[in-house]
Amino acid sequence: MLKNEIINKLRKIVGSENVLNSKITMTTYAYDSSPFLGKPGAVVFPTTTEMIVEIIKLANKYNIPVTPRGAGTCLCGGAVGVEDAIIISLAKFNRILEINAVNRTALVEPGVVNKELQLAAEPYGLMYAPDPASQNVSTIGGNIAENAGGIRGVKYGCTKEHVLGLEVVLPSGEVITTGGLNSQVDPEIDLTYIFCGAEGTLGLVTKALLSLTPINSDTKTMTAVFATLEDAGACVSEIIAKGVIPTTMEILDNTVIKAVEDYAKLGLPKDAAALILLEVDGFPAETKAMVENIIQAFKNNNSINYKIAKDEKERQDLWKARRAVNGALGKLKPSNVVHDIVVPRDRLAVMLKKVAKIAEKYDIIIGQVAHAGDGNLHPTLYYDHRIPKEADVIEEACDEIIKETINEGGTISGEHGIGLEKLKYMPLAFSQPSLDYMKKIKESFDPENRTNPGILLP
Amino acid sequence: MNKNVILEVLMKCNRCGLCQEVCPTYRVSGNEFAVARGRNRLIRMAIEGQLEFDKEPEIEQFINECLLCKACETNCPSGVPTPELISQVREYYTSTKGLPIAKKIMYRGVFSHNKRIDLVRRLAKVYQKTGIKTLVRMTGVNNIFNKADDMLPDLPKNSVRGQLPMLLKNIHQPKYKVAYFLGCSVNNFFSSIGVATIKVLQKNSCQIIVPDVNCCGAPHNSAGDQREFKRLAIKNLKELAKLDPDAIIVDCSTCGSILKEYVGLFENEPEYQKLAKQIAEKVKDISSFLIEIGFKKEMGEIKARVTYHDPCHGVRFLNVQEAPREILKSIPGIELIEMNEADMCCGGAGSYSIFYPKLSRQILSRKINNFKKTGASILATSCPACTMQLSFGMKLHELTSPVKHPVELLAEAYDNKAK
Repeated sequence: MLKNEIINKLRKIVGSENVLNSKITMTTYAYDSSPFLGKPGAVVFPTTTEMIVEIIKLANKYNIPVTPRGAGTCLCGGAVGVEDAIIISLAKFNRILEINAVNRTALVEPGVVNKELQLAAEPYGLMYAPDPASQNVSTIGGNIAENAGGIRGVKYGCTKEHVLGLEVVLPSGEVITTGGLNSQVDPEIDLTYIFCGAEGTLGLVTKALLSLTPINSDTKTMTAVFATLEDAGACVSEIIAKGVIPTTMEILDNTVIKAVEDYAKLGLPKDAAALILLEVDGFPAETKAMVENIIQAFKNNNSINYKIAKDEKERQDLWKARRAVNGALGKLKPSNVVHDIVVPRDRLAVMLKKVAKIAEKYDIIIGQVAHAGDGNLHPTLYYDHRIPKEADVIEEACDEIIKETINEGGTISGEHGIGLEKLKYMPLAFSQPSLDYMKKIKESFDPENRTNPGILLP
Repeated sequence: MNKNVILEVLMKCNRCGLCQEVCPTYRVSGNEFAVARGRNRLIRMAIEGQLEFDKEPEIEQFINECLLCKACETNCPSGVPTPELISQVREYYTSTKGLPIAKKIMYRGVFSHNKRIDLVRRLAKVYQKTGIKTLVRMTGVNNIFNKADDMLPDLPKNSVRGQLPMLLKNIHQPKYKVAYFLGCSVNNFFSSIGVATIKVLQKNSCQIIVPDVNCCGAPHNSAGDQREFKRLAIKNLKELAKLDPDAIIVDCSTCGSILKEYVGLFENEPEYQKLAKQIAEKVKDISSFLIEIGFKKEMGEIKARVTYHDPCHGVRFLNVQEAPREILKSIPGIELIEMNEADMCCGGAGSYSIFYPKLSRQILSRKINNFKKTGASILATSCPACTMQLSFGMKLHELTSPVKHPVELLAEAYDNKAK
């Protein structure tokens, strides 16, 4: 519980309607989309940079930890905060300040929902390339904090490739601007990228200058069914080896296909071992050539059948189904852990198989969906948290998945972040000197460790 | 559902947060306790014993702030039936604490009895026509009464039921025999919809019977008054069972979906459930029925740009989406244009607008702003409850655009041909 004195001061800063601290409201800000729970002391909804500066200064004066939060769809426990933290919800700090079609940029506040930006950019023939599966609700601030990727990541890259400049309130309460938002055009050490993927531990982004990408004139969306995961994995490798860069290339395993089909009812084959969902974009001449190459790869790798979406509705249905994966799997068991491992593309088929073997070994359900084009796998492990033994088994299986990932030359997170969930794997993924330097960076920004403490760095 | 079943259902929610996109209360408030995921979390914690329903008035408030619009459930990848869970909790509150007095007077006292609704309508009409309104306002009586008063449309002089002898005709060689379920709102507040429904059906060679039914029970159900809901359902089922029509026509999406919900209501009473199933199969929304029978296309022109608002009970409960649009498109002169978020709740939700005016008005304003952007001059919708709310919205935004049922426009188009 935070003292009344502090609550009152927060009310003065943001207005009393923008401060929550009752027991019941706190319960609804104790979670995100991960299994981790926090115990917030208060939630505040600032709508200006100045308000955030005041909140940070107040927190510093009383030595209270703060945690920034967007839509609360974090998958690694990065938005729940430590006990009695002030949760700074940026959900209402959500204006799109400018769309500049000539510069192809957008200037936004951190609470803007990814999809709202897409809708705002569309009339100009532009898009904001990063499109995490949560894009209909997740915010730009959260996307930057986690360096979110998305379904189009294989062609367009993750969030940090599209951030041009930031305004950030530092843990000291100072405000800096970086990159394209900096008035000085002299060469600088561009601090922009240090905040992308820092999970809100180095400061709070209050404005972001983002780059927008032209929407290509032609899009083709295809699905192909495979009898084994290996065939699907090998197919992905062949497509990439042929020089085709799809906009997206996803592999869904049987568990995922079934769950998604139950929800979306698209006529996906519920008995298939693997499904590749793939999209290419470009000028019609380009897409035509790509489609031919892809169909060849499907055939070479024993695809049972393949289809090209015949219209925009069919295409949207497929993507809606893909975006529903995380939620749709919720009905299998009451709890789950979703991993975010990355391996080199040529190890993808091997890794998919290894995860399937681990599921067999521990006799558990693991659903696998992978952004195959960039080697990013999302194995999701299902269990019942009320049965202590099940939770233990899951932990062991997770450890093994991570170990195998590292063995294959991979790493522990592609886009979901480390948060609380993967803290213990950090020493496996990074050398001690690397970790030491990361800590030094954190200390230089936040010597008192008050900004989103407890996550990311062990 | 018992506690264990509810808990199992709740655990399907893995807090992915996709409900934020479609939940009207979240869209206008941005608050996590005003979205399905948050409400589910609270219910789960209460059932698990970490919180107590009875000791935390905020839980009751957040549960009651749900519109039961079902948008979350439709959009939920896990298919968590949040509205059903909310209804269960409300039922619990009503069974332990009883209905709030205002709801008791309104629902059990008035809506349960046809004669009393009629009386209230007539009194209200007098109240609107004479100077009593200003007088009462000056005395500043009960706040809730004032809010209800703001919402009330200009009342018709006669109920539909009162006009039936003049409206109903014997159709020569009818193609269909239909029962028209005349709901309370259409009958008393929006009689022009009922008159249009009858005219259009007769124009399409339907012999109409109007059974002597009661309120469908929607207000009682949403307030968690299951006992009264059941009593009304049984009365209606018995009344409808006396007939053997080709279809039971509804022009109120809410009545339609509630009639279909009778099936679930009698889970443990097989006899009534069987009856409910037979009835449910015959219930048809007027637009869908007209499309199905291939309605007559001899129409005159209505020159207007029209946009359509999907009532929650139409689009998500009855799965009616295309039919009313088809009808509007078929009318010569009408340009149908889609508005943003056409299927988002208007914030009416029965008496929600009276009990939760702030949220309700924010949701309503969002809707009216979406309407404005279309440049349409008529807002069409298939539910009198939405009509009441949307008309109120027009008033608040100082717009003169009428809110009309597609069947009203169709009747007008038929008339225009005759002219």
